Amino acid sequence: MRIRLLTRRRRVGASYLAVGTFLTLILLATAGTVNAQQQMSKRYPGGKNVRVELRNISGTIVVESWNKNEIRLTATLESKKAQVVPKQIDDCLMVDVMSDNRGRGDVGDINFKLQVPANSSVDVETRRGNISVSNIRSGLVRAHVSSEGDIELTNISATQVVAQNVIGNIYFDGEFSSGGTYEFKSTKGDITIRIPGNSAFRLVAASQMRQIKLNDFWNNGFKTQDGRKYVGDVGDGRSSVSVTNFSGQITFLRK
Amino acid sequence: MNCEQCQELIHDLVDGSLSHLDELTLNTHLKQCLDCDSVRQDLTSILSFCQTHRGEYEAPPNEQALWLRIRNVIEAETGSHAQTAAREPSFLGRLMGRTWELSLPQLASLAAAIVLLVSLTTVVGLRRWDGDGSVPNVVPQAQASNINDRIWQRRQVINYWNQRVELNKTRWSPEMRETFDRNLKVIDEAVANSLNELNQNPHDEVSEQMLNESLNDKLALLKEFSDL
Repeated sequence: MRIRLLTRRRRVGASYLAVGTFLTLILLATAGTVNAQQQMSKRYPGGKNVRVELRNISGTIVVESWNKNEIRLTATLESKKAQVVPKQIDDCLMVDVMSDNRGRGDVGDINFKLQVPANSSVDVETRRGNISVSNIRSGLVRAHVSSEGDIELTNISATQVVAQNVIGNIYFDGEFSSGGTYEFKSTKGDITIRIPGNSAFRLVAASQMRQIKLNDFWNNGFKTQDGRKYVGDVGDGRSSVSVTNFSGQITFLRK
Repeated sequence: MNCEQCQELIHDLVDGSLSHLDELTLNTHLKQCLDCDSVRQDLTSILSFCQTHRGEYEAPPNEQALWLRIRNVIEAETGSHAQTAAREPSFLGRLMGRTWELSLPQLASLAAAIVLLVSLTTVVGLRRWDGDGSVPNVVPQAQASNINDRIWQRRQVINYWNQRVELNKTRWSPEMRETFDRNLKVIDEAVANSLNELNQNPHDEVSEQMLNESLNDKLALLKEFSDL
């Protein structure tokens, strides 16, 4: 009887020890992960014609405007060996992750957040990862994903907009300026364009899978080639819009 | 003084440029040698004639008639050559012997005519060969090979970049490799679809545009990932 009691106590003790060890390991692992990530944040003075150029390898890019005449760059680096060295020349801020990390091997994801004046030109690209740009009114907004990643451009008014990826959706919500050029291209993904009803543009839209929905922007002046390509003017056609995808839907929405 | 030395000095004697001693020696020889003295007399006569008639040239009696005679002689010689050529009986010989002077547009037209003639002959020959007058699969196959020819060069460039990517791929993370392969596969599917459409309808503008764009995308993907 005595022997049996002792054995039960030992079993309970061993269970507590196992659970404790397990929890400790989890805590250590989590702490290790947190410590491995680095974060950097820097501010740069903004001029009259601010331009931001960012070349990332892997990771998300978020660009948004704020009411300050300066640029704030925040980066979260997954790997300790990764390096980010922004360069500012006049009004242009350049970040080239590829150059900064040449010869360092795989540097993991680097996620960027840029806060810029609303009139900044934005030119960002990444090999892999999502891109989001919002509230920009300037000459250029270019978002390029070399492989897969969604592109979301919200409240954009720029004379030149380029959005391109291979796999992933593209969403544009903004205005087409008179005389501007707008290019949206995805190999496999939906492209949605939300613009004011009074927008005026010349459209060339092509989709191999015949999934083009012009909705309120359709008129009888459009020429189509068996539903795979539409060419025509909306309004006076003063801006030029090109939309292409291979599989996925092209949709125009009125806001 | 011998005769050879004397005749060398005669010109100077006539010109009056000899020294007194040489002139004395030469005159002594001339008095003894009739041949040398004859040479001196001839030379003196020629010189005297030239000095007397300096600036006077006698024109031919009828200059125009002279030139007509020369031209007649030349034309007579050319005519005899032509008669000789006319006697050649072979048409091929004449054709080969003829000098062809063609301008560049004439040459191009001639080449085009030859190509057209050869093409027509080939088509007609193939129709007859088939018996029923139809030429099944010949034109689509030619068009398909034409499409392949057009993209052949781009495929070479793509192969080059593909090799570079393969060399660097080992350094990438497994996630990056999967991403790349997945995206390349999607683009390859787009290329294959466009090519398939073009093989069925070689003049399909949309498929051609899609093919071009997907090949451009593939090249861009390879280039951008070759840097990693």
